[in-house]
Amino acid sequence: MPFRLRLVRTLRRWHARIGFAALIFFMLIAVTGVALNHGAALGLDSREVHSKWLARWYGIRHEQPGQAYRTASHLLVAANGRWLLDGSAVAEKMPYPLGLVEIGDMIVVGGESSLHVYRADGALVDRLDSSALPRVPLKAIGAGEGELVVQTPAGPFTSTDVLSWRAGAPKVVSWSTPTPLSDADREAYAQRLAPGISLQRMLLDLHSGRFLGRLGPLFFDLVAVFLTILALSGAWMFLAPRLRR
Amino acid sequence: MRPRLLALVLFCAAAPALGEAYQAPEALVAEVFGSLPSARVLWLSREMQAQASAILNHPPANLRQRYWSDGARSVWILEELGKEELITAGFVISQGRIEHVRVLAYRESRGQEVRDPSFLKQFAGASLDKGDHLDRGIDGISGATLSVHAMERMARLALYFDHRSRD
Repeated sequence: MPFRLRLVRTLRRWHARIGFAALIFFMLIAVTGVALNHGAALGLDSREVHSKWLARWYGIRHEQPGQAYRTASHLLVAANGRWLLDGSAVAEKMPYPLGLVEIGDMIVVGGESSLHVYRADGALVDRLDSSALPRVPLKAIGAGEGELVVQTPAGPFTSTDVLSWRAGAPKVVSWSTPTPLSDADREAYAQRLAPGISLQRMLLDLHSGRFLGRLGPLFFDLVAVFLTILALSGAWMFLAPRLRR
Repeated sequence: MRPRLLALVLFCAAAPALGEAYQAPEALVAEVFGSLPSARVLWLSREMQAQASAILNHPPANLRQRYWSDGARSVWILEELGKEELITAGFVISQGRIEHVRVLAYRESRGQEVRDPSFLKQFAGASLDKGDHLDRGIDGISGATLSVHAMERMARLALYFDHRSRD
């Protein structure tokens, strides 16, 4: 058999072998690359993947929810910067709550330097940061005579509309305090409040190989070398017969 | 890998805290009115939520929008996502036109050019035309396209809210 024919056969065989062996990685690089190219349109930054094993893989400490804030008809559980209000996740990157208060048809969740106001159906009505609060840090929130009361280093302040404040508090204030969760509830809420990893971060790590650890990028460098070999061998197999004619 | 990834994740989580706040909202309000008037509230009806969604390309964050007004002028402090982080901007509206705009907090790592007066002055005098679009084009900034679009959306929303607050 002529040397050239043997070479073409060998090249074709290895071209197929390398292509098949690296198929899954090529697909991974292609799919994640396309997704990252359109990351803004796909909203990858704002989406988070929540999973206990993923958090462990990334070395993120998984905080167990230990307590809950309750009103007559609402329940708030928080952990890992996430809140579950009446069983629904409300947002990411939330502050640790100080308390939960029900004022008329509004639910107010207090943090050290913010108040989040929700409707009974969980829709966010308003978010008041430190510039809209009478003083910060807030130390506690409560309710008295149908009004919201916040305890600050400068004393208590009261509001009827969670907008304007006056110094002082009603004679009787029911301060929001946490209650412990049962073991079963703790486990159930831990699943739902697992810390999140940005989808964009995860796709970037998959694309670069960093997801696989320290040697991941080197492995993907090797895959890139294989891809180069495939491209060159494919080009040679395509062009060589045509150039000989 | 894990310590490095952990450091990266912690850095990303801390990014909002690293963002720069240039002026407190109440400072802008006090600067505009000479004192700090009480905040007013615009409740977003279903129709207003729908229109705000059309302007922003996503539902508005709040159902209640605070603003400050002395009757003639109004100040709206709005937040909108640039690329990865929220941009906080203050819009001063007078007679249905933007009087001036200021970026109060910019948290992205790039694109700070949207704070430049040369960029922001393009909004001065802008009003809404049909379809609640600005009556003029806003020149983009290379490398800050998403932030420029966010500023445009907030400008349209501030003008729309001002209009509805006077109904």
